[in-house]
Amino acid sequence: MITLRHPWQITLVLIGALIPPLAVTLTERGAAGLKLLAAALAVSLIWDLIFTRARWQQPSWHSLPAALIVTVMTLPTLSLWQLALALSFGLVIGEQVFGGRGFGFLNAAAVTLAFLVFAFPGTALQEASPALGYATLPGLALLLAAGLVFWRVVVALALGLLVGLAMNAGTPPGVGLVLPAIFAVTFLVADPVASAATQAGRWLYGFAAGLLAALFTPLGMAEALVFAALLAGLAAPLIDDIVIRAQVGRRSARG
Amino acid sequence: MTRLLDRLTRPLIDENPVTLQILGICSALAVTTTLATALTMSLALTVVICLSATLISLIRNHIPQSVRLIIQITIISALVIVMDGLLRAFAYEMSQRLSVFVGLIVTNCLVMGRAEAFAMRHPPGASFADALGNGLGYSLILIVVGTLREGLGLGTILAVPLAPMLGLEGFTPIALMQRAPAAFFILGLLIWALRAWRPTQVETPEFRVTGHEEDA
Repeated sequence: MITLRHPWQITLVLIGALIPPLAVTLTERGAAGLKLLAAALAVSLIWDLIFTRARWQQPSWHSLPAALIVTVMTLPTLSLWQLALALSFGLVIGEQVFGGRGFGFLNAAAVTLAFLVFAFPGTALQEASPALGYATLPGLALLLAAGLVFWRVVVALALGLLVGLAMNAGTPPGVGLVLPAIFAVTFLVADPVASAATQAGRWLYGFAAGLLAALFTPLGMAEALVFAALLAGLAAPLIDDIVIRAQVGRRSARG
Repeated sequence: MTRLLDRLTRPLIDENPVTLQILGICSALAVTTTLATALTMSLALTVVICLSATLISLIRNHIPQSVRLIIQITIISALVIVMDGLLRAFAYEMSQRLSVFVGLIVTNCLVMGRAEAFAMRHPPGASFADALGNGLGYSLILIVVGTLREGLGLGTILAVPLAPMLGLEGFTPIALMQRAPAAFFILGLLIWALRAWRPTQVETPEFRVTGHEEDA
């Protein structure tokens, strides 16, 4: 286990986990990918500086991982103003209005991607390649070790996804279908800010997200996971509340 | 005179019914997909609120306390029915686009609120000025939201294309702006901006999270 003491260490670990998938994406895309990456980083830095200044805090750099995730999951054909608008929306409405990362209940990157899908119909998200899936695995391991991804969420999500896909198709899905899901699962759904905070809640949250993603797969795996992350994230506070009430009830019944 | 003017201008920004009192949100969300519908709705509501407040204020000393809400609603709904009829007669297509929302002015908290809170206790002149101010304050927000939603969502203002005028050839309309959530987002951002500009409008929080960092 890795122990994190300062907020900037969290950002550093996240960026570290994002480097291999980002490298894969950039080699697949070339120069167009670099342009989008630079724009995304600039937009996220600007909002981060504006809001941390307004709150009299040190710059947090928390928006950088969100910018990297969005770069990996959008198509390189996206125009820069569309990316800037969507990212601004996701960072401000999804995160900064609540007081910054950790105070909200949704993943800023998931909000950004959902905004893109709704705002510009026809602009699809980038479907992940198997190479991206493999490149995410070291990051996933790092995040699990650092406690920034909960194993319960990941296991429950895999279960939900397998059950849902098996219900859809009638047969258990192959590795070719699961591999492209790993990136979005790691960085959108299993984000500790978005997921439930209680142990039982994490099982429920992961399973619900997996099941939802399986139901949405006709939209394409990337879009399915974005909306699953969003809906499950909205339900996470409710799941926690139910779990806590159930535990309090059981304790008071015990006397 | 200055008091009348004050009653007229205060509801525009400082006591705006939509952004400060959060009244009339339902119609503000529903009819703001284009500027034309927002303008029509603003006009209908302003006429209804002015007439109803004046009428209720005129007979305020004869209204029994126990049935005052029934009388207020009767007056308001009579005016709304007339307004709806007028729209159908002279602007049929627009009345179809507004569907039930003109009829729903009857239940608009803004109209009821001004009748109950102001017109019942003030003379007709003051009531009219207050109602007109509130109607215009509501209209102001609707026009801002309607302009943004039509301009960004369809790329037009009052059905006139904007892109050739502004020289923005690469602009893709943001389809989200035509959906209901966009009105929530715009209204929320508007309230945020207003309260940043006028901090007196900020509500006191119900509770505060205290931490060692905040104490420092």
